[in-house]
Amino acid sequence: MSTPMIRITGLGKDRSQGGSVFTLEVPQFSVEPGELVAVVGASGCGKSTLLDILALVMAPTRAEDFGFRAGEADSEHDIRRLWRLGDEASLAALRRDYLGYVLQTGGLLPFLSVRENIELSARIRGCGPAGQRLYVLAERLGLEGCLDRMPGALSVGQRQRVAIARALVHAPRLVLADEPTAAVDKARARAVMADLEALARDEGVAVVLVTHDVDLVSGHADRTYTFDVVQTSENVTRSTCYPLQQGVAA
Amino acid sequence: MKHPVPAHPIRLIPGLAASHLRHDWILTLCLVVALAAVIAPLLVLMGLKSGTIETLRERLVEDPVYREIRPAHTREFPSEWFEQVARWPGVDFLTPTILPLSSVLQVVHPQTGRSELFDLIPTGPGDPLLLENGARIPGDGQLVLSAEAARRMGVSAGDALQVRVTRTRGTRTEEARETFQVLSVLDARAGSLPRVYAPLDLVVDVEAYKEGYGAPDRGWAGDTPEPFLSFDGAILLLEEPLDPIARTGLIINTGFARLADADRQQSQQRLGVPVPESLTVYDVFTPGSAVTVSNLRAIEQKLRGREAVVLPYVDALPLVDDQGRKMVLAGLSLSPRQARLLQAPVPPWGGFTGRAAPAGELTSVLVPKDHSSDSVQVVSDGANTLTLHLDVVGAGDWQHPVVPVELLGVLRTGTQRALTYRADTGSFEMARGGYRGFRLYAQSIDDVPALAARLQEQGLEFVAQVEAIERIQVLDEGLGRLFWLIALLGISGGTAVLVASLYAAVERLRRDLGVLRLLGLARWHVFFFPVAQGVMIAALGLLAALGGYASLAWAINRTFASELAPGERFCTLPGEQILIAIAATLALAVLASLVAAWRATRIDPAEAIREH
Repeated sequence: MSTPMIRITGLGKDRSQGGSVFTLEVPQFSVEPGELVAVVGASGCGKSTLLDILALVMAPTRAEDFGFRAGEADSEHDIRRLWRLGDEASLAALRRDYLGYVLQTGGLLPFLSVRENIELSARIRGCGPAGQRLYVLAERLGLEGCLDRMPGALSVGQRQRVAIARALVHAPRLVLADEPTAAVDKARARAVMADLEALARDEGVAVVLVTHDVDLVSGHADRTYTFDVVQTSENVTRSTCYPLQQGVAA
Repeated sequence: MKHPVPAHPIRLIPGLAASHLRHDWILTLCLVVALAAVIAPLLVLMGLKSGTIETLRERLVEDPVYREIRPAHTREFPSEWFEQVARWPGVDFLTPTILPLSSVLQVVHPQTGRSELFDLIPTGPGDPLLLENGARIPGDGQLVLSAEAARRMGVSAGDALQVRVTRTRGTRTEEARETFQVLSVLDARAGSLPRVYAPLDLVVDVEAYKEGYGAPDRGWAGDTPEPFLSFDGAILLLEEPLDPIARTGLIINTGFARLADADRQQSQQRLGVPVPESLTVYDVFTPGSAVTVSNLRAIEQKLRGREAVVLPYVDALPLVDDQGRKMVLAGLSLSPRQARLLQAPVPPWGGFTGRAAPAGELTSVLVPKDHSSDSVQVVSDGANTLTLHLDVVGAGDWQHPVVPVELLGVLRTGTQRALTYRADTGSFEMARGGYRGFRLYAQSIDDVPALAARLQEQGLEFVAQVEAIERIQVLDEGLGRLFWLIALLGISGGTAVLVASLYAAVERLRRDLGVLRLLGLARWHVFFFPVAQGVMIAALGLLAALGGYASLAWAINRTFASELAPGERFCTLPGEQILIAIAATLALAVLASLVAAWRATRIDPAEAIREH
């Protein structure tokens, strides 16, 4: 068995809001290199919280183990330790070098052109102008014609495809996608989903996809996680993340 | 995969900040205009302040008149004073001057014969009044004229001028003439009075000539500066006593006021020799006044035909010997006839000559027998201290050392007028009257108040344009304070605008900054986003303000061009002040962006994900 890219054991996150407490428990979670992992759940189940934690922007309240390994040859980063140390710069560097993001409405910067938006993650990583790679990606995503337009002039579906291009242009090891199809219709959602999967597979990039739409991922995902939400008292909600068996609907 | 170049995400910040400003160009333009509206008036104000002050200062600085200090009253200044003051810091030029009346000079045009009386002013190398008014420093045989003097004489540079110095001696009027070349004519700015500028030695020679002395170097005839003799009285020795009528008649019109019977003891002390019993002794004198050689000659004239001797005497000279002990000298000059009458030996120097000459013989002395050395040192503490070495020319049965009475006459004059003694020739000279004033120029107008204060410490009253200079300094200070007050107001407003808008920009950009953080920028990277924007807006504002300032300054200088000399500006900013303004604005922009920058670091990247 290959070494997991993300290895989580006994992770928990408590969030309190207006007197009510929400607790997310993740007993076991892992992502293998090149895998497409789906995280499926209704709203309020904590799937976004889990994504924040995977995106290295939210500190878990507790964790027995939280490791991140960029590749076979690389040593494992102890994320738990980095959070404990408050080593914000190292976490930012990990995000910069190994992660890519596709946000709900793209998360494009409105003051940069499509080309500049796509190049941004490459430039932040320090790969220099993306050049050839940018054109290959743009071509595959059907964006050749709008590279010099501003995001505000694009349709929602186009923006989403720009976001995918930006998430992949700097050759990350893991792409995190947060409801990438929430804002588009069913047919377009399938197209976006297909693009993402195809590109990820070709590039050997692992993808964690968060969605409420289980149909969207069935048949695509290598592994699916879902949540068991229990209201233990009036103010306390507990959600546990567990892997779903292949082919079984939630 | 390792990245090909080291990651420096910080380098992306300025570009991103600029992209955002360009995207929100309307807001950016508003901010830039707001900042320029604050900075431009400040620049104009600063330019007006430095322009007007500089113009006023330049006008003062350019005209050496404002750097001049001269004494308000005449007073004697010794040469050492000039040597000392010339070394004071801030002194550019210093020359002595003489009594104003002594320096009036008759100037004659050699062709037209036109003649005028002009004031003669000493000058010297480095005189700014000449150098900064288009003239060169005159040398021997050269003069510089003021514009008015040249106009009245109808001469210009290069022409010849004759100078006549006149004096009255007794009833005769004497005149010395010399022809000079006019080297330069001063600009009218240097003064409206007709004046002649010449090297100091000509001025001194003119003064000396007027006092009766000659100037051998110039071929001007006159006295040598030989001191005159003065006495306290004279001893009158007669074979027959005078009847009362003759007593009164004898002193009329001689300059003597009293004729008294003399005490023989006292007379012996004065003369150094006893007076024979066969002679009647009188004392002629004028209480409180000196006896001159002409007084003596007058009384001798009256005594013609009688067997009489007139011997001048001097009492109580402040003399000490080399040990500082008080010393008494007897004065006796006798012709063989007088010696016979007095039954005394003829001294080696002979009879009374009435002059402080011949040199050398004056400093002879006859000593008492017990004296062993061949010279006697005498220190006379008069107007200035003279140290004399008297040559012993003989010894005798004297109570006190005996010297030619002319020496005592010289030393008595020396108690009232400064004398110099030249040991090499053994001659005495009247010391030159000291300088009676000065012309001093400070290096810059800013040095004038300090030099003035220093002269004041010496109890000197002087004339200087200190007030004009201080007025400008006060104006400068006042305008400076006003400027800072207005600047403070403007800067506070501008800073507030910048703080608020940068802060608002960060608030608007929360999501975008969150995305940037998510994409791998650290907190301290996004810190610089508002800072970069602040600096860019400030730079654009500065550019606009400088443009506004330049056009307004041009308009102001054009409007007032008629009141300004070429090269003068009412509104102008020196380069360093522009640099200071730029640096200050950018520094303030950075400061103003700090709140927004801090706010930017508080943005959680999770917010970008949590967008809806």
